[in-house]
Amino acid sequence: MPLWVPVRSQVAPAACLSPSPEAPRALSLFSSSSVFPLPNSQCLVWRTDLLVISSFRMAEQPYMVASDSETTGDDKSQSAFHDLAIGIEVGTSKCSIAVWNGAQVELLRNTRKQKAMRSYVMFKDDTSTGEVPSGGASNKTAYEEKEILSGSAIFNMKRLIGRADTDPIVHASKNLPFVVQTLDIGVKPFIAALVNNVWRSTTPEEVLAIFLVELKTMAEVQLKRPIRNVVLTIPVSFNRFQQIRVERACTMAGLHVLRLMPEPTAVALLYAQQQQQQQQSLHGSMGSGCEKVALIFNMGAGYCDVATTATAGGVSQIKAMQGCTLGGEDILKNVLYHLLPNFDSLYSNRDMNKIRSMGLLRIAAQDAIHRLSTQSSVQINVDLGDGTKMQRVLHQSEFEEVNRNVFEICEKLIKLCLADSKLAAEDINDVILVGGCSRIPKIRSLVLGLCKKEKEYEGMDALEAAVTGAALEGAVASGITDPSGSLDMLTIQATPLSLGIRVHGGGFVPIIQRNTAIPARKSMIFTTTQDGQTEALIVVYEGEGKMVEENHLMGYFKVTAIPLAPKGTAEISVCMDIDAANTLRVFAGAMMLGTDRANSPFFEVRMPTLDDAHGWCAQALVKTHGSALDLTTIPKELQPQKVQ
Amino acid sequence: MTAGLVVCRNRTYPSPTTTRVGGGGGGGGGSVRFGRVQLQWSGGGWPSLRLSNFRPRAAVEEGFVRENAGSFYDLLGVPAIGSPSAIKKAYKQLARKYHPDVSPPERVAEYTRRFIEVHEAYETLSDPGRRAIYDRDLTRSLPLAFSARRCRFDEEPEERSGWRNHWQDQLTELKRRSMNGSSKDKLSWGAQMRRRRAESSREEVA
Repeated sequence: MPLWVPVRSQVAPAACLSPSPEAPRALSLFSSSSVFPLPNSQCLVWRTDLLVISSFRMAEQPYMVASDSETTGDDKSQSAFHDLAIGIEVGTSKCSIAVWNGAQVELLRNTRKQKAMRSYVMFKDDTSTGEVPSGGASNKTAYEEKEILSGSAIFNMKRLIGRADTDPIVHASKNLPFVVQTLDIGVKPFIAALVNNVWRSTTPEEVLAIFLVELKTMAEVQLKRPIRNVVLTIPVSFNRFQQIRVERACTMAGLHVLRLMPEPTAVALLYAQQQQQQQQSLHGSMGSGCEKVALIFNMGAGYCDVATTATAGGVSQIKAMQGCTLGGEDILKNVLYHLLPNFDSLYSNRDMNKIRSMGLLRIAAQDAIHRLSTQSSVQINVDLGDGTKMQRVLHQSEFEEVNRNVFEICEKLIKLCLADSKLAAEDINDVILVGGCSRIPKIRSLVLGLCKKEKEYEGMDALEAAVTGAALEGAVASGITDPSGSLDMLTIQATPLSLGIRVHGGGFVPIIQRNTAIPARKSMIFTTTQDGQTEALIVVYEGEGKMVEENHLMGYFKVTAIPLAPKGTAEISVCMDIDAANTLRVFAGAMMLGTDRANSPFFEVRMPTLDDAHGWCAQALVKTHGSALDLTTIPKELQPQKVQ
Repeated sequence: MTAGLVVCRNRTYPSPTTTRVGGGGGGGGGSVRFGRVQLQWSGGGWPSLRLSNFRPRAAVEEGFVRENAGSFYDLLGVPAIGSPSAIKKAYKQLARKYHPDVSPPERVAEYTRRFIEVHEAYETLSDPGRRAIYDRDLTRSLPLAFSARRCRFDEEPEERSGWRNHWQDQLTELKRRSMNGSSKDKLSWGAQMRRRRAESSREEVA
């Protein structure tokens, strides 16, 4: 049993120290159910700057997931909010938590009164401490940032999670102060933090889990109740592997993911609420039909998302989404390479001094980029410590030239998104710019220019919009209602990526197209490619490529008991189902010849079945089975008829 | 189970939707946990698989009442002459009722299915081109059951719905015309396929 030891209590909330009703509940949080072993944690001590308490030692202790059984029989007044899901945005760089407080969404602050907290986990000798400290490039925090960049802390988890070591983003992360090793065989990369001059390995999920535990503890102390359900925002471009990794990290931290919400859709929900309230105050009635279309552009440190949404009467429907791994981190990298062209070779050997000076340069570059949002040029003065000093002026025009590729990709994403949603610039009522990078003047002018707008939508905090939307979704999906109608809304999500299966010849046939409203269920009939073929492989992929190798392999299974028939005549029905929680299930089976009956029980498979994006599984399948188990689509004119 | 659904009797549709709540309707709540929908699927045939797009054709013949035999207009509760804004409004109202985020926990599975159906109806009727095709087919009084609609590969996604209905219903009609005898049933499967191919190519020529 882990011990619950209150260590520090400067601001001791009575609930935690006195035997109030909260205390046993808090204890029971750690009392049961599933156990997730966490490597590398011989001893975990949570040192926090949070409001207090809960340092619990876990000597060789695994993470535990709370059971939700103790929620019964509570007093009714509290039970309404008891299961209320909180909204969490774990950004590449910053993170925030928000919760519906009964009247509005409130962002939680850490003990330093910060709403946006730097996302990192610091590993120190035999203890790993995830702090929830501050970010920002002010002088006051510069020292901390320096420590984060010393190699002992892991950050940018969001860019690394769920990626294989062949991924270019993982390769690009090799210039970070901590170790990212790749062997280029399509497995999880090796990452490690510097502890006592030793590189100690960990995984992005583990780091994220440690961080989430810290956030959870902070929220539990402030809200004086156990937290179990969360709505977590994710980038649009996250594939299902990345989503599953995030869910797994949450499970390790004892959190249940009620919804994973693409960031712009969370912003869309907030927009829907604001529109609803505006219309109510204008017309005094609900749901007047006026539909407003908004383009949401979200660019943070790690990812860039674009979405269009149509909002009327409190219902926001996502029309299209586009996203890619592009953000402040790439901009920073471009600037670093511009300032120091031989950046890579300089830091390849990773001795302590080099890591230190790399950190200093990073801080200086970051600060310069921030200041370029309001100035036309900045002076960079940095002593790299090893005798070299950098003194130079960086102009805005220079900055824009260096990052031209970034802006080009942004432009492409917006155009794609508009085309997908069949909208012209004139159809857009509002342009919403959120995320840290939306402060860069060039990006603002680019987005507004493409949408032919003079100015952006006002009334949203660029850094708080996504987490606020997530908290709203948490309240709505937890079944909370608000008498004033502030929760009387809904966002209809869409699938950001197409889902389909492999057919003969390696082609990808989407069954659920991208931007299909969720929940969704679509089916399609396929046929055999061999005479007398009795079994067929259903190989499920996610992505937009025409050929399967361009997409992500989700999993595979075999449909059996196909009736004996010449090739091209048997019918195999494949159906894909995505529920509101975004779980994907594939149902497949063979039909009896010429009838509507299933030949034998269908298969139901929850995807992904693979643990990682192992592209080589697909190659192994082809190598072993060739095309003997292939399926193909039925040409239009040979599709089975409707049965009357 | 038509509570809340305004069923408009349509001239071409004397019998409006009679949705029967299947065995899983009330009991679906048992599988709902934190809003995660677990659609009951397995176990003895296809009990609660009344989902159009997904229900295998088998269900029709296994004695299940075919639901939602009504038109998309019936489903959305708007008259066939309803304006685009009326359709949009009806859809949003139904979405607010059936979307899993807002539906009562014990009915999430059932409402999710309905949401998908409502969304499908809206998708067709909100597109002027698709709606025109759909309307024409409606006046020919072809039963446009949901179960008949499924994805086809070689069509553009945006055209799919319209073409799917159009083409399939033409075939249905052809089939009906030639269904005077049961001769067709005696043909081999492959022969039936070839025949269908011939029919459809004839149709294209015409």
